[in-house]
Amino acid sequence: MDDLQLLREMRSDVGTPPPATLARGRNALLRKIDPGSGAMPDDGSRRRRVVTRRFTLAAAAALVLVGGTVAADVLIPASKGGASAEAAEVLNKAAAATIKTSDPVVKPGQYLKVDTKAVYGGSLVNSSGKQIFWKSTQNGQLYIPADLSAEWVWNREERNPVEFQDEESKADILAMYAQQKAERTPNGEFNPQAGGVLRAKGGAFLGHEPQVLIGTSLKDAASLPRDPQKLLDLIYERTKGAGKTPELEAFVTISDGLRMGAVPADLRAAMYKAAALIPGVVMADKQATVDGRKGIAIGMPLPGGGSRDDIIIDPSTGLVIGERDILLKDYPGAPAGTVQSWTAIKTSVVDSAP
Amino acid sequence: MNTDRDIIRRSRDSPAEFAALYDRHASVIYRYAARRAGDFVADDVTSETFLVAFECLDSFDEAREDARPWLFGIATNLLRRHHRAEARLLKAMARSAPREAGADSTEGVAAQVDAAAATAKLAKRLKAMPAIDRDTLLLYAWADLSYEGIADAMGVPVGTVRSRLSRARRILRTGLAPATSDELEETDNDHGRLAAAPRNA
Repeated sequence: MDDLQLLREMRSDVGTPPPATLARGRNALLRKIDPGSGAMPDDGSRRRRVVTRRFTLAAAAALVLVGGTVAADVLIPASKGGASAEAAEVLNKAAAATIKTSDPVVKPGQYLKVDTKAVYGGSLVNSSGKQIFWKSTQNGQLYIPADLSAEWVWNREERNPVEFQDEESKADILAMYAQQKAERTPNGEFNPQAGGVLRAKGGAFLGHEPQVLIGTSLKDAASLPRDPQKLLDLIYERTKGAGKTPELEAFVTISDGLRMGAVPADLRAAMYKAAALIPGVVMADKQATVDGRKGIAIGMPLPGGGSRDDIIIDPSTGLVIGERDILLKDYPGAPAGTVQSWTAIKTSVVDSAP
Repeated sequence: MNTDRDIIRRSRDSPAEFAALYDRHASVIYRYAARRAGDFVADDVTSETFLVAFECLDSFDEAREDARPWLFGIATNLLRRHHRAEARLLKAMARSAPREAGADSTEGVAAQVDAAAATAKLAKRLKAMPAIDRDTLLLYAWADLSYEGIADAMGVPVGTVRSRLSRARRILRTGLAPATSDELEETDNDHGRLAAAPRNA
């Protein structure tokens, strides 16, 4: 390939920013826009500098693939008209099941509890130039009140490294996490590594309202079209220019929406049907297991075909029970089929919140 | 329609609207900065880009719909402060051993070794190139801006973009940088060298 092509491949393995990083930047912006907005002060920049001394992060903080110098495959969507036939069938059935299975009724005073278990893959290059991989877990429970404008409660457990590649790096990683957790935030503010209970009226954690889709907050969910094609067109319009491809960005946007427990059933059904219209979406696995539960994985391979983002659907209820990010190619230390990160989601109705 | 321009116009009256621009573009700005100077720098540069943009709303050209050239221009300026991190990264890549290449079934080992060696060479040449050419080239190859977009980002005519790009590509191909080249150095100079903003060069 020519020099320009090679340059385009160079460091193309750098991933998108971790959500915590984005939230922190957004927070800083909101404080600038309106100093009285109540957005939480930066919890990270000072802490991260301390870490820099020991570790130089040479690649994305999460989900790093080694070997970005290799030519990318050209990915051909399964069919031009939309998702593959199998994927479309699963998604449309999930939409039907969503409508049929009525949502759990949350009575006044009760909460919809969204229980999340997550495992993330992490990678960095340490000061001696060695690439280190590990996995960390962070679980959490979100309590959404029956009255959506009331106080939401979010218990975020501490983030812990759980799997290491060897003893030497284990000691380094453990030390890094311990340091981050012990770091005192100014005025006792929230430290995401250490976890804690967050409270916010209307679910506006970190100063911004919960969104069902980019540009539409939960309380305006009724304004979104229920016609799948119109919904998808709107998503394309709002995500224009973002992400690696418009199709992947649309799929990710829909996954983001489905993940939130509070999206009304008719909108969830429209989201499934909209996903069925996205070229490149495939049925990835009929028997996908996430945290011991089985479902059907619907996925979208990333450009280059190195990995795939899946959502896992319980076909009988139409509920998303999890998500995962799986390798499609062999990488040093991580063969094809390795699940790099996953999230399991369980929803239930409870009488109280912490 | 909900273009970037619409968001920016609305945010003149209701500033909170500006956050929508962040939601839309923070990821691509981060990725561009991370490719150039690593994650720690990208963290700061991304956040700072939007703060600067918000402060300088009037510098956005309302003849444009897309705010990305404007944002990438700001980010590129800010990255100048972090030339040391960028130099370190390129130096590491210039040394990078072929073993880094992935075990891709579609390519033989020899091809991977070649690719790694070619990347190392590229990193070295990128490092040796004048900053202004490197900025232009990476806005093109990594930020995916068009010639017009780069012209907007750097505040120069399209013709200038064209000549800078062809010069940058020549250096990339031949390794022959002009004698006046201000090669990226890893010297401890993080706070001192913001002056050479690309738009004035």
